[in-house]
Amino acid sequence: MDQRQAQVDIDRLSDRDKRDLQQSINNEMQKAKIQESVHELTDICWTKCVTGAISSSGLDRKEEPCVRNCVERFLDANEAVLKHLSVMRGQGGV
Amino acid sequence: MDSLNPSLSASDPKAALMKQVQQEAAINNARQLISKMNSHCFEKCIPTPGSSLSSREEKCFTTCMEKYMAAWNTVSRQYIGRIQKTAGGGAGSGGDMGEFGI
Repeated sequence: MDQRQAQVDIDRLSDRDKRDLQQSINNEMQKAKIQESVHELTDICWTKCVTGAISSSGLDRKEEPCVRNCVERFLDANEAVLKHLSVMRGQGGV
Repeated sequence: MDSLNPSLSASDPKAALMKQVQQEAAINNARQLISKMNSHCFEKCIPTPGSSLSSREEKCFTTCMEKYMAAWNTVSRQYIGRIQKTAGGGAGSGGDMGEFGI
């Protein structure tokens, strides 16, 4: 029902509208990918940084910088992995 | 808001479609948050499940939920800052990833 409605609507769109729509959807997909990464990072860094009992509704003085460092170092580690992989590939692999 | 206008879909199919895409993305995002929040806070607040949820456990859960959202927002800001630095600064309308909160 909703599907059919959408189909009819798409047929009525001009080429320019279709291009605009494609662009907006690409933006939305990129946003979704970033949000996906944020979920994953929050998962990892929560486990690393929020180690005590839950006592306050915000991050405390230790947790806040820990979470920020956690994000940065995780991404550093990710880059290091990619870098080393490309070195290994240059050496003819393993 | 214009979403309350019933003729929107007929008069502007492009906007209506985009709205649907955005709504589904938002639902997906929220669903993921809820799922992760639930498992992390369950871990933290209910180490040994009893025959019912105690008021202390419930209090812990609400505090934990707020804390998890705070963590999500902190991670989001840090991650987007990093992406923008890597992309050379001027890229896009960063920070528009939405925030969770009450």
